[in-house]
Amino acid sequence: MAAMGKRTLKRPSLAEHWFPALGIVAAIFGYVFLVLPSLIVIPMSFGTGSELVFPPRSYSLELYRQYFQESTWMAVTGQSVKVGLATMAVSLVFGFSAAYGISRTNFRGKGLLTVFLLSPMFMPHIAMALAMYLYLSRLGLVGTTFGLVAAHTLVTVPFVIVTAFAGLRYVDRNLELAAATMGAGRLRIIWKVVLPLIVPSIIVASLFAFLLSFDEVVISYFISSVQSETLPVKMYSSIHWEISPVLAAISSLLTVLSFGACVAMSLLQRNDQ
Amino acid sequence: MIAFIVPLAVFFAVFFVLPLALVVLASLFDPVLTGSNYQELFTSPLYLRVLRSTLEISGLSTVATLLIAYPVAYHLYKQPPRRRTLLMTLVLLPFWTSILVKSFAFTVLLGQDGIINNIARALFGQDTALKLLFNRPGVIIGMAHYLLPFMIFAILTSLLAQNRDLRRAAEVMGAGRLKIFRSITLPLSMPGIVAGCLICLVLSLGMFVTPALLGGPKDMMLANLVEMHVRQTLDWGLAAALTVLLIIMTGALSAIISHVRGGGLGSHG
Repeated sequence: MAAMGKRTLKRPSLAEHWFPALGIVAAIFGYVFLVLPSLIVIPMSFGTGSELVFPPRSYSLELYRQYFQESTWMAVTGQSVKVGLATMAVSLVFGFSAAYGISRTNFRGKGLLTVFLLSPMFMPHIAMALAMYLYLSRLGLVGTTFGLVAAHTLVTVPFVIVTAFAGLRYVDRNLELAAATMGAGRLRIIWKVVLPLIVPSIIVASLFAFLLSFDEVVISYFISSVQSETLPVKMYSSIHWEISPVLAAISSLLTVLSFGACVAMSLLQRNDQ
Repeated sequence: MIAFIVPLAVFFAVFFVLPLALVVLASLFDPVLTGSNYQELFTSPLYLRVLRSTLEISGLSTVATLLIAYPVAYHLYKQPPRRRTLLMTLVLLPFWTSILVKSFAFTVLLGQDGIINNIARALFGQDTALKLLFNRPGVIIGMAHYLLPFMIFAILTSLLAQNRDLRRAAEVMGAGRLKIFRSITLPLSMPGIVAGCLICLVLSLGMFVTPALLGGPKDMMLANLVEMHVRQTLDWGLAAALTVLLIIMTGALSAIISHVRGGGLGSHG
């Protein structure tokens, strides 16, 4: 290393000269690659509807009209919203209360229990898909909205717990203690002291849970039926079998949704600090 | 206090432990108590081929992701905080974008009449036709795009954790930027690179959507084989054995990740 140092000091090499510029070119390539797929769908969504070419030969709102007027697309979108909201509610209640319980007590095996409750995060969705499929088919619950919400909750709850831990860390325990000394019961303390202090984490966790459920495809593909099909499942089949141009309009709407979520998250996390 | 944990614990017992136990049982008992499902995994040419392509695709995608991610993470690291936050949006947008939107966009981008081929034709003549869809390159491009944000977060975290005085000292001593990068920044970011690669491997081993939509028949991965057994051949025992194998592989890698950085996948949020 010392020898290399001497050489560089004597005469900046060609590589040394070009390094900063090459670095920036490589970074720009990376940024373009990252956003290109999201951005490409927007101009395509204003095409005329018969073929998917970029750039479109002429512009119209035809694809959006197709999406909003076709009842099957509307039905699967409604189902996804329904499952997403239910999953959000269930995983918020389960996740926040578990995170609160874990962060306010000490018991043997606490670390192990936490790892266990976070473990679905590390599990491939295909594994949970098969497990849920085998299980729900025994119970006769394949194709039900209940099954979808249960499976999605498993996926979202670890993220809710992680977000809840982060929020609860900043709640001063002396406040809870003070309230307790003055005679407030546990639930009253949670309602009046803890919850108001962690509103940003609750919003972040809700967004997380809703979007994760709304985008989930592999498990839903296994355990939904024609009647309970979600938007991603229908999109999956549509890309798999016949790429329909209406996908461009749906993709653009979803891109706008993701963009909104990511702006909201970064605003909330800044306020949180 | 324990009462707060009970509802979720019960939920996990009923909807996580029991279903997974059922998978293990199915892998051993379907159709009758036998180790033959596992034996078949490691002897049948089909399974060995799929296992090999799963490992190949995961490895190649991780390497491709690292090569694209590092310059981006390094660039982000060099920016003042305000501009870094702004540029982070470019990383977060794909992170929050549905994998189906991405797959759809790639089928349009990479196709015979896609933008990439149009550019290639403009540059290298009308006869150029790059085959980028429904084959190995297509899967790797799609997977790398999915994995990029995770890798960038991991590397950026370790870059930002570095002591800036080291760089300054090297600058004062007259070291050029490449020299500083090679002997300080890069070696110190190794933990981030290792963590990022392990995360990408875990995520890619169980990949289902990308190989199904952007790959060809030769790019089938373990997850696609599981689906084939459930939906077409109805061989639940084999599907379960494949799943157990996948869980063991990703579980072992995840254990290494938690060991390496005392956290886990969760820290990317």
